[in-house]
Amino acid sequence: MRTADLELAARCRAGDADAFEELYRQHARRLFSLVVRMVGSADEAEDLLQEVFLQAHRKLAGFRGESTLGTWLYRLTMNHCLDHLRGRQAKMSRATDSLDDEESAEPMAPAPAVPAAISRMDLEKAIASLPPGSRAAFLLHDVEGFEHREIAGILGVSEGTSKSQVHKARLKLRALLRR
Amino acid sequence: MNCESYEDLLGDYVDGARATDRPGDERLGAFERHLAGCARCQALVADFTSLRDAASTLGDHAPPQRLWTRIAASIEEEQRRPWWRPLGHAVPAWAAVAAAAALVLLIGGATWLAWRHEPAQAPQQAVSAPTEPEAIPVEQHYEAAIAGLQQLADSQNASLDPETRAVLKENLAVLDRAISESRAALADEPENALAQASLLDALDTKVALLQDTVALAADEGNPSDEAAAAAKELN
Repeated sequence: MRTADLELAARCRAGDADAFEELYRQHARRLFSLVVRMVGSADEAEDLLQEVFLQAHRKLAGFRGESTLGTWLYRLTMNHCLDHLRGRQAKMSRATDSLDDEESAEPMAPAPAVPAAISRMDLEKAIASLPPGSRAAFLLHDVEGFEHREIAGILGVSEGTSKSQVHKARLKLRALLRR
Repeated sequence: MNCESYEDLLGDYVDGARATDRPGDERLGAFERHLAGCARCQALVADFTSLRDAASTLGDHAPPQRLWTRIAASIEEEQRRPWWRPLGHAVPAWAAVAAAAALVLLIGGATWLAWRHEPAQAPQQAVSAPTEPEAIPVEQHYEAAIAGLQQLADSQNASLDPETRAVLKENLAVLDRAISESRAALADEPENALAQASLLDALDTKVALLQDTVALAADEGNPSDEAAAAAKELN
């Protein structure tokens, strides 16, 4: 896997346009889905992913194969999404929650359980309402299937922070989805 | 032990961790005994498991076909663009020149940035610089670039509205924290590749943010006298 990644990266660095397109085809679908869920708009996601791949093209020289190319691309993508959301937040009034929102969403009173069959639309809507930090961790863990160790590397946080963000996200989603 | 103290293990349990698979993990064993008698934790495990199952089956959003065409075109365009204008948005000429001058004056980092932005062609331009970039750690190049850009950004800060200034300051503080945390991790484990990558990413982002600050200040109106003077001085 790593050898294949290094070979592909080397071909991209050597200016092989087919290799870079191959890299795009391998990862674009999952990354696009992730970005749509992070920013809530397919149009914005398209612009952001274009910037991510442009940045990847510039930075491939620095790829040393310590992680997989996929993980490396996820790191670029999430950095870009979070920067974008910070910028959006700066343009809006300061009323929105911060990226490091510490709020716990768990209601104190007992409430009905989350329905056994959660509709996709309800879940997508609930995910969109999460603060960006915990949304990022939840998407990477529960949707994309990364382990906390990998998420720590992608988001530049500790493994404990990743676990804590996923826990907060699950608590908030639980509160939103049970009625 | 109360429920909150098992928060991390509850997540691990939902993700499939079991005491029988981790014989030495006494906390996990203790959590499983707690779970057997705690309705609250049982409800959380059930709901979190449903959430996890539903999330893992969410479908993909397919990117439009035109996206690759746009990316390929933007790469081609960037390869024709001067190395000191890597940003995707229009930067006023004086700001671009000032930022470029800051980079050229202050760095071997110019060498490094050029190499990062134009892997195919830029190294030839950069290698002609009188410094010996390979002998200087990458981090120092960034620090030099940041110091120059910071000075330039500080000189123009007055032309930004107070709210934007506050947000930029906050974002810089977030980046500085990330840089400190990465350095602390590297102090413990100098070979930690993730910490190295995180540090370089944070430094890279800080350079980009400062470049954006310079551009944003210019967008707010004409450059201040101080900024113009700084730009002149850097030239």
